[in-house]
Amino acid sequence: MPGKQLLMTFPVTATSHTLADYVARDGYATLRRALTTMKPEDVTREVTASGLLGHGGAAFPAGRKWGVVHLNDHQPHYLCANADEGEPGTFKDRWILEHAPHLLLESMLLASYALQVRNAFVYIRGEFDLPYRRLAAAVEEAYAAGHFGERIMGTEFACDVVIYRGAGSYVCGEASGLLSSIEGKRGYPRNRPPRLTVQGLFKRPTVVNNVETLANITGIIAHGADAYKKVGTAKCPGTQLVSISGHIAKPGVYEVEYGYPMARFLHEDCGGMLPGMKLKCLVPGGISTKVLTAAEVEPLTFDHQSFAAAGSSLGSGGMIAVAEGTCMVRLLQVMLRFYHHESCGQCTPCREGMGWMHRIIDRIVAGEGRPEDIDSLYRISRLQDGMTICGMGDAAGYATIGILNKYRGEFEHWIRDKRSLLAGNLEGAVHA
Amino acid sequence: MPEIFINGQPVQAQANQTVMQAALANGFFIPYFCWHPQLSIAGNCRICTVQVEGRSWVEIACNMPVTEGLHVLTDSELVREHRKATMQFITLNHPVDCGICDKAGECTLQDYHFAYNGSPSVSREPKVRATKYHDLSARIMLDNERCILCSRCVRFTREISKSNALGIKNRGDVSLVRAAEDAPLDADPYSDNVIDICPVGALLSKPFLHKARVWYLQPTPSVCPGCERGCTVNIWHRKAEWRLRALDPQQNTSIARVTPLENPAVNGPWICNKGRDLAQVFERPRADHAMQKGKPVDLPVAIAAARTLIDAAKHAVALVSSWGSNEELAAFKEALAGRFTTFVKRDHEPLAGERLHDDLLIRPDKNPNTASARALFGESSAGEPAVPADTDLVLVWGEGCNFGRLPAKAKIIFLNAYLQPENGHADVFIPVSIQTERAGHYTNFAGVVSGFERCFAKKPTVADAQNLFAALAVEATVAP
Amino acid sequence: MKHLIPEFEKLKARFPAGFESSLVLPCVRRIQEDRGFVADADIDGLVEYLGVPRIQIEEVLSYYTQFRRAAIGRWHLQACRNVTCSMRSAERLIDHLSQRLGVTPGQTTPDGVFTLSTAECLGSCGTAPVLMVNDTYHENMSIEKLDRLLDELKGS
Repeated sequence: MPGKQLLMTFPVTATSHTLADYVARDGYATLRRALTTMKPEDVTREVTASGLLGHGGAAFPAGRKWGVVHLNDHQPHYLCANADEGEPGTFKDRWILEHAPHLLLESMLLASYALQVRNAFVYIRGEFDLPYRRLAAAVEEAYAAGHFGERIMGTEFACDVVIYRGAGSYVCGEASGLLSSIEGKRGYPRNRPPRLTVQGLFKRPTVVNNVETLANITGIIAHGADAYKKVGTAKCPGTQLVSISGHIAKPGVYEVEYGYPMARFLHEDCGGMLPGMKLKCLVPGGISTKVLTAAEVEPLTFDHQSFAAAGSSLGSGGMIAVAEGTCMVRLLQVMLRFYHHESCGQCTPCREGMGWMHRIIDRIVAGEGRPEDIDSLYRISRLQDGMTICGMGDAAGYATIGILNKYRGEFEHWIRDKRSLLAGNLEGAVHA
Repeated sequence: MPEIFINGQPVQAQANQTVMQAALANGFFIPYFCWHPQLSIAGNCRICTVQVEGRSWVEIACNMPVTEGLHVLTDSELVREHRKATMQFITLNHPVDCGICDKAGECTLQDYHFAYNGSPSVSREPKVRATKYHDLSARIMLDNERCILCSRCVRFTREISKSNALGIKNRGDVSLVRAAEDAPLDADPYSDNVIDICPVGALLSKPFLHKARVWYLQPTPSVCPGCERGCTVNIWHRKAEWRLRALDPQQNTSIARVTPLENPAVNGPWICNKGRDLAQVFERPRADHAMQKGKPVDLPVAIAAARTLIDAAKHAVALVSSWGSNEELAAFKEALAGRFTTFVKRDHEPLAGERLHDDLLIRPDKNPNTASARALFGESSAGEPAVPADTDLVLVWGEGCNFGRLPAKAKIIFLNAYLQPENGHADVFIPVSIQTERAGHYTNFAGVVSGFERCFAKKPTVADAQNLFAALAVEATVAP
Repeated sequence: MKHLIPEFEKLKARFPAGFESSLVLPCVRRIQEDRGFVADADIDGLVEYLGVPRIQIEEVLSYYTQFRRAAIGRWHLQACRNVTCSMRSAERLIDHLSQRLGVTPGQTTPDGVFTLSTAECLGSCGTAPVLMVNDTYHENMSIEKLDRLLDELKGS
């Protein structure tokens, strides 16, 4: 176990996701206590005091987001759990949806109580099948038990939840794109201001929190902010779910306590690389974070400050371990194809820039690269950064600049010799 | 009233303004494609970037609220770099085919390219190909390669005309503006406004397609006579200095197109499609010869004959035109009102299928100057005026009178501009000028007066109603 | 789609009042499950039922990758080819699929049994490479498992 565990605290069995098992683990007891002994603002105060960070990628403090919502302002408020897990390399919310759906629902009820939300939503990506079925079954169980609907736990509190299924669009994982989608439209992200906590779903104050962020609420309210802060580091309280994949021996979802040593995580908890392979670099938090070489990542501790100092970010916790022998030009080509495919097309820099970068790298791979192509990729990345309505311009730029900075030689080689330094291999090389 | 500073200059802004609005209102220019003063903020083109002093990044002005003491730079080095980059992104897949584009000469993209980019293409990639000619509606073509997806047209149909006719299909760099498949754009009587607000050459008028380069044309301010709203318009026609001598000289006196003339008091920046089609009204076959009982006579002969009829009449009725200008109506009143019992006539009735009225511009009365005519000559009942049976002379001014309903024995003096069968049935027929051949004013239903100017010269054989009334009156009083 | 309206009514009951527009995605998804694709008549029916502009539904259908307006094969094979799956042999797997089925991604076999597509990250990187068959994820795929799966699907 990579440090203390706050979410993955029970053995996964064939029934551990059910209401009966959850109740046996004291499920919904925190909700009952909060509804009967706490005021909504007490819940928010506890969440703020815990220092809980958003786990969707931006690590924005959850309490500060909640704090923007004015209580008793005579208009509906909405809560949306963001389960549109689509950042390549990220599959950690899936674990919660499949194995702890009631933890998410109880947490959403607590959040709804705190934020005076009558209608809550879970926006789940359309491709997810088992996670959807597990969550949908949990919602029905919770309704049957009276945990949703009118007079929850015999109090005045009422709340309904809808599971809203996406239909294939990366951009809907961005909070405002997600709301456009729940409104039944294309998933176009929106300009800020206004913030979504001021004008969100159908122009009403709306809090959009990542599934994992929300899942932590129940524990925070159950054990208090102080207990939560005892886990992790001073600046990074708690834990983060890491989904690790790639050329790693034991891919999967791990709950990692902030401050945990990365070398130990990679080489002991995850069992090191696949047999015969050596770590070349790590994509640390989904492909939209800058890649770190083995030498850069191994001395780090698992927390935002440590990764920021190394010039990258923990992002969504989607780690991809890349083995020696992997062609970084092809890897970036796969990434840029993805961004091109997923650009919603709304704003100019992303709509035009993604295709531009994709065409440039396709041309390099086709052996028709030109020396100035590398500078073009840098320049397009820089000029998209901060210029798009959502963060996608920045994201593609980080992916590109991260790889170009560290593996420029592989690009120069392909452009000069019209072929890959590493035979275009993506599957890593096995060393004797 | 927050005070902000634009390029160091203090500016008094309104509390709810954006930086874009405050800048434009105070004489600072910030370029924009997708922003439009009448539409919601889309913030998608990213050309309007400004820099807040002290920040190392740029932001879009169209969505930036003013705050007390805000310091923005509209032309810093960073802003210039990003504008240039945005122009490069925008032209990346734009064909830059200005040579064959109707928008050339009045194209925002063309202007900004010169102002903010002005460099050869930095991309060597093949451009994304898209539909070059798409029938968006019976009136409008769409060139998707030129489209920069600013969404102005889409927002117009959702927020202004409310037809919800347009949308953006697909995504990414293969997004396409398209009309809904049940084709409500054809049913949107305001559809052609999207041509004007398109900042590039993507949306073009089919009737105007390749008809003229805009720099050969000049706009003359006018008023749409299509209904009592009286929208102000520009009538575009060939400039005198570019007059065609050999090739189809008819074009020199033709209406090339009609566009809105922005007017906050009446129509804002919009007009309906009927206003675009004024050529269909004004360019109908013209009556250009006076007649007596269907036989051509010289204009002075007809005028003298009319005078004689007026002189001889005991119970004379006049049906005055609701298409007459304020000046013409006043001239009639001054010169002839004493001689006639006067009714206001509706020259035009709604056409079959025409929208009667709505909340935007279209009004039920399809005549431009009923308000003035009624103010001068009183209310007449709706529909056709009831001409008394003992009437022995009817002066019919303008269209819309069914001669069959006039008393059978009454003599008829008919003043009309167009070639119509009734002309020959009148005892005296006098051809008159049309709106594009004279200057004048109309008063709309709400009392707002708007002026129109002369576009073309009238033929000498055609009378100006304003002078004609004076002539009829002078002869009628002076003659023994 | 008319026979689905009772289901839509139940769905609507969980939404706040005035959220008709929100029902576009769930209704379209249900129609597609029912018919296999969304037909013009379905769009007309939804416009009438939800009272939303037709263009909104057309936009949604063309924007989201999961929606389609034409029939496809009985088994929709969607092979992820994003970063982790490609690192775990997805490209070879897709080539193998193409060869065995005799179609390229985006095409349907002439017998109408299989439609092959590529997908960009299905959120199953820990069990890469992943192949989605209709709604079901098949994880940790290999060429051997793929061959077995194709035989099973063909026989069913």
